[in-house]
Amino acid sequence: MASGGSILLKIENLSARVAGKDILNGIDLQINAGEVHAIMGPNGSGKSTLAQVLAGREDYEVTGGRITFAGADLLAMKPEDRARAGLFLGFQYPVEIPGVNNVYLLKAALNAKRKAAGQPEVDAYEFLALIKQKMKFMEMSEAFLTRGVNEGFSGGEKKRNEILQMLVLEPKLAILDETDSGLDIDALKIVSKGVNSLRDANRAVVLVTHYQRLLDYIVPDQVHVLSGGRILKSGDKSLALELEKRGYDWVKASRVA
Amino acid sequence: MSAAARSRLDPPQSAALAAFTAQWRARDLDPLHAWREQAMQRFLRLGLPTTRDESWRYTNLRRLTAVDFIAADASPDEAPPADAASTSGLPPGAVRIDLVNGYPQLRSYRPVAGLRLTSLRDLARNDPAALHTRLTALSDSEHQRWALLNAALFVDGLHLCIDAELATPLLLVHRTHGATPNTSAFPRILIDAAAGSRAIIIEQHVDTGPAATLCNSATQIAIAPGAQLEHYRVFAAGAAATNIDTLDIRLAANSRCKQFTVALGGALLRTNLEAHLDGAGAELDSFSLLVGHGPRHVDCVNVAGHHAPHTQSRQTARAIAGGTSRVIFNSKVVVDAGAAHAESQQSSRGLLLSSEAEIDTRPQLEIHTDEVKCAHGATTGRLDPNMLFYMLSRGIDRATAQSLLVYAFLADVLTGMSASETRAGVEAALIDQLPDSELLREFR
Repeated sequence: MASGGSILLKIENLSARVAGKDILNGIDLQINAGEVHAIMGPNGSGKSTLAQVLAGREDYEVTGGRITFAGADLLAMKPEDRARAGLFLGFQYPVEIPGVNNVYLLKAALNAKRKAAGQPEVDAYEFLALIKQKMKFMEMSEAFLTRGVNEGFSGGEKKRNEILQMLVLEPKLAILDETDSGLDIDALKIVSKGVNSLRDANRAVVLVTHYQRLLDYIVPDQVHVLSGGRILKSGDKSLALELEKRGYDWVKASRVA
Repeated sequence: MSAAARSRLDPPQSAALAAFTAQWRARDLDPLHAWREQAMQRFLRLGLPTTRDESWRYTNLRRLTAVDFIAADASPDEAPPADAASTSGLPPGAVRIDLVNGYPQLRSYRPVAGLRLTSLRDLARNDPAALHTRLTALSDSEHQRWALLNAALFVDGLHLCIDAELATPLLLVHRTHGATPNTSAFPRILIDAAAGSRAIIIEQHVDTGPAATLCNSATQIAIAPGAQLEHYRVFAAGAAATNIDTLDIRLAANSRCKQFTVALGGALLRTNLEAHLDGAGAELDSFSLLVGHGPRHVDCVNVAGHHAPHTQSRQTARAIAGGTSRVIFNSKVVVDAGAAHAESQQSSRGLLLSSEAEIDTRPQLEIHTDEVKCAHGATTGRLDPNMLFYMLSRGIDRATAQSLLVYAFLADVLTGMSASETRAGVEAALIDQLPDSELLREFR
């Protein structure tokens, strides 16, 4: 395992509120380059809120704590700057944007990132070749080239499109919010293949998931159980298997004990 | 007509009415005089509309009533040529005819196969009876009082007879220009599409600078059986320009018209569309793309009258309003007793870009027969924060994301434009008008 790499993300005592309700109540988490972390937990435990806060959603109010990403103060950064710095959020519910071309958006995203890094814009022809190659890898039809962003995509197609975007943008840290939900077994394998292809010593992945099934295909270095806006328990992949067997109440009970 | 309007038979003489009357009296006599006089009398009896008039309730013309409107220069040859900036976004590849204050500039016009073209001044001189016959229809329409004023005061314009399929779009570039402020022009266009013909005609009102002007234009279109016409009216006049335009379309059996109204510029714009689906199987697709920015006021009124069986009308409107602008879209469908199996759709969506902007939409339906299919929907809202955040999370900056979403909102109308070069021209003109157009252009 690649654990022991440099610190990529450090969350310290993070608390956040959504629509006047406290959702995150003191999260501490450190993710090193090269690692894959899984965050599991019951509905309403704050998993998606954590993902959205990391990506910079404005209507989620951070009420305390700090987050350092690649040495920078993440909470001081605008969402678009976080993306350009290499943070990627794979949405639980990818948004349909009719009228904005799927590929144009991706090209603009890549160019925004390259511009921020002082690199020239990507050549249009090379970009098309790149995206066709990645689409083939994700087993997506080229018909998606001409569609609006997620427009008319099935649930599984939307999730594949998220992973496609991730593969093109090559983020340092990918946060995948329930990317496995609503996928059949074939789609799950394709999505997992996409995520695994990005794993290397310089990147990290956070998988937010309900199910241990995904972790059969993307094996995590660490598993965390989130409940009531706090991380109750952390462990290796065997924790996910144990959760599957014994349920979340077991973690809550064992913590009280 | 309302009781309030009827009681104003002897209206207080506003400066504007006095100015229009003076322009009327200063006119040379022409063979249409009796007809014009009737129109002028009707106009004066109605007076300028006030917000008590049902179809003007959202548009207050009080500011105009105090203006001493000057007749446009009758020797338009001295007008400056349209500069490159003011015509950016005009579709390339089109046959272009400029009209300055309604006077067509035909010196460099080369005949186009399938098109017969005459200036109205020549037609009035050579065949006044034919012109009179062609003109009579519009003057009946009393509530379209600006068309009456146009009938009284227009000096020149164009008569276009389309006999076959035109190979390229025809572009009419309207400029209102005067040496003094408050120049008023009254262009009139007559279009006759012969049976089986096909054409694309674009009327574009371009920016001629910061001077206050009034352009009260009227276009009459008659589409013969089986003919197809795509007509655009694009308003991109200057920041102090007032445009009032009346468009009358008559559709014969199995004819088809796609009509685009694009509001991009000017201080005050009022567009009227009256479409008459007179023949069985006639189809109208009307698209309105209304952009409100700064203090602009845009008021678009569409009426589709189904007078024959199996007629279809579809009205699609997309309005955006920023700054302190106000955009109004009123559409009405009237289905006569004799128009069984008529179908109509009205879809209007508004997008508010600022808290001080306002959008009013009102779809209306008046049905006098059974066996019709009529649907309508109207919504107004703001940019979707989920769409915005999705784009930000991909590294797109906020200004570009907003522009893209605005542009996407208008896409339904743009994709209806069948001529690609026409669409490209309108798109370019539109992008110029959107916030952060530079970013948007880069992105496309």
